Amino acid sequence: MAETKGNRPTYATDFITTDIEKVTFFGNVHIDNMMTTLLAMGNELWVQRKRQHILEALLAEKGVKPEAIEKYVATPAQEQAWAKERDVLVARLWSHHDKNTGEYNFASDWNGK
Amino acid sequence: MSKVFSRRSIMNAIGGTAAAAGFFRPGTAVAKLKKDIEPRGSNGTLERLPTLDLDSYDDFSTATRIWINGDLTRASEQRAAEILKSHGVKPTDKVSFEDTVRWVADDPIIALRSASWQRLQWHMWQELRREFHGNFDAYMSELEAADASGPGVLELNPGIEPEYTKHEIHMQPGGYTGDPFAGHLYHYGTNNFYNGTNHQDQRHTALAGAVPVPADGKVRRILDMGCSCGQQVTALKQRFPDAEVWGIDIGAPMVRYAHMRAVDLGIDVNFRHALAEQTGFPDGHFDMVTSYILHHEVTAAASLQIVKEAHRILRPGGVFYPVDIYPSPTNRSDHGTAIRHVRDWMTHRWNHERWWNDYLTTDYIGEIARVGFTLQDAAREGVGYPMVAPGGPRNPLGIKPV
Ligand SMILES: C[S@@+](CC[C@H](N)C(=O)[O-])C[C@H]1O[C@@H](n2cnc3c(N)ncnc32)[C@H](O)[C@@H]1O
Repeated sequence: MAETKGNRPTYATDFITTDIEKVTFFGNVHIDNMMTTLLAMGNELWVQRKRQHILEALLAEKGVKPEAIEKYVATPAQEQAWAKERDVLVARLWSHHDKNTGEYNFASDWNGK
Repeated sequence: MSKVFSRRSIMNAIGGTAAAAGFFRPGTAVAKLKKDIEPRGSNGTLERLPTLDLDSYDDFSTATRIWINGDLTRASEQRAAEILKSHGVKPTDKVSFEDTVRWVADDPIIALRSASWQRLQWHMWQELRREFHGNFDAYMSELEAADASGPGVLELNPGIEPEYTKHEIHMQPGGYTGDPFAGHLYHYGTNNFYNGTNHQDQRHTALAGAVPVPADGKVRRILDMGCSCGQQVTALKQRFPDAEVWGIDIGAPMVRYAHMRAVDLGIDVNFRHALAEQTGFPDGHFDMVTSYILHHEVTAAASLQIVKEAHRILRPGGVFYPVDIYPSPTNRSDHGTAIRHVRDWMTHRWNHERWWNDYLTTDYIGEIARVGFTLQDAAREGVGYPMVAPGGPRNPLGIKPV
């Protein structure tokens, strides 16, 4: 059936969910989950570095020195907004740890459902 | 740094003249897409991802994926070869699928390859989903505005989706039918699958360029089946600007996105939400029917029925050109070998290609001849698009006898 959200048709149907989020490849779901975290960390690190490169390039164009960045004091509103963003990052890195149950096994459940 | 410019300005610059290579001929009624969300502009024909962070995230995912597909996959296959050897088996020996998988599945490098592939892909889908669902109203409004705009027709037929089309192939959340932004997810997700080499539809342009023209040279109507985001549809229109070009797909969100993209590019092509095995077009309607990587994603029954349907809707002399990953899966010389089992297992199970095993055992190429086409076995005759690697096997095609 096509679904609606509010009164707007989305034209999306029900669907058959894959079991792929419940797999352990290493026999211990926590190891699997740690790897998921590490992959996200790599991505996150690059996200930050890329932004940093752009910012520093722009700042240098405007004559801003690196010391000014080191000594910067944030306003309370900035602190609050950044804390919110930081919490989203925590969720992104760790939220899957309590969802993957590891009930399917890489070695023996190879045929799927 | 890559140059950023609006796609619309490219279209306007080209004006009514023939398209420059790599860009599209403008459609007739070019009306700027209302409510267009394009905060970071476009790079050629691709809208840049809407935030710098998402763009960088995607960029790093692609780089990681290239490592997984390259060095890590080589290491994994090397391990597979060593394990097989310890069982007295060569990678090219024909052994049972079950034995092969049982032998290799406990190896940490092979497990790492599948695990990192699968988890990286999971992250990518989640990040894309976070953007589109996190801004649901804006993106839905953009789609709604496009639904009502031209050039080109959009036809939606809610409720026609058979169960088999509702799987989360490639682990894409909601699959092709179940997420309102399935087209958005698929387009940016597959850019990542192509290792960043298809941002300007290069692959689709090459494929559209490879479709053989009917002997009488007449190309008035073209259909692309299982068109996803419509990249081949727009590429075909670019090659055949005077033809009426249609794309069909069973994912309504896919064709909505495809239509939106075409409207935004000002390209006059049409989309219908329909099954390839039951397109709803009249007998003998098209001069060309194409598809690209559709057959491996449908059931055996659907795969055969699609060939019949193509035959029905093509006119005598018309060309059927179904391109897929392996042009002739049932005749592959490596079919049933140990190393193929390892790869097929990863594709089917860990990339969630639900119908992969059907694909490997369904002779849809033979069906092209059986339903009455003249089959040109391009693998022998050397025409068609090389799918596996340059110089590798090529795609067959069917010509409806006059
Ligand atoms: C791998 S994608 C094809 C890629 C696409 N042709 C391109 O040019 O990028 C498979 C597409 O086929 C669609 N599909 C699957 N089964 C179908 C069917 N029976 N009829 C029409 N479309 C189908 C899916 O919704 C999905 O968009």
